[in-house]
Amino acid sequence: MANYRKKMSDKRIKNIFIKGPVSPSFIADSIGKHSSKTSIGAHQIFLGQVRRDEVDGKTVTAIEYTAFEDLALEKMHAIREEIFGKYPLTCMHIYHSLGTVKSGELCFFVFTSSAHREPATQACAEVVERIKKELPIWGKELFEDNTHQWKENK
Amino acid sequence: MEIDIVTFGKITEIIPNGMMSFSGLTDTDQLKATLEQRYPELAGMKYKLALNKTLVQENKPVIEGAVIAIMPPFSGG
Repeated sequence: MANYRKKMSDKRIKNIFIKGPVSPSFIADSIGKHSSKTSIGAHQIFLGQVRRDEVDGKTVTAIEYTAFEDLALEKMHAIREEIFGKYPLTCMHIYHSLGTVKSGELCFFVFTSSAHREPATQACAEVVERIKKELPIWGKELFEDNTHQWKENK
Repeated sequence: MEIDIVTFGKITEIIPNGMMSFSGLTDTDQLKATLEQRYPELAGMKYKLALNKTLVQENKPVIEGAVIAIMPPFSGG
């Protein structure tokens, strides 16, 4: 356990934010980069996609994301350290959109890898839940008639 | 006393960003009470404060020039 923690503590705070949607080719490239890490036996990926929700007859055409970036990245760093302390992961990559992401596009990408499947699966699920609850990020759901409502996480 | 107010999410539509004047307050609990008086809509909302980029978990002293972020419930992902 101590080894995983040490490995992460050496690293500085990483940025997780990207402007606009997460592109499928970025995800494919990210998977491809792991072929040289031959101790990995399992990957787990979570992808969040903007849903075309219907609210009172109006449809969501996009979500505009904003964040308190400094606070979010500090919190993400702490979560990352805790997760590496808890699970024997080989690596973990996290990306979240800022700005406008249209319905049908991807806004959130969590990617964990480990020697065997269980740590990757559990860590991925836990990180997704924690990011949704603990990171100061807000989604503004935009409707086709230029009105909006603020997203609330279930 | 001047405090730099930074708002996020839905609260950006209720409270303007920027320097705001206060008198006679010394901590975040008093600041919350004053803000809720000035912006009654805030009183009915769930929100958290950050003082100089640190989440306020319990009452904290506030001094001139502090940066206070007012944050509604998070909705990332």
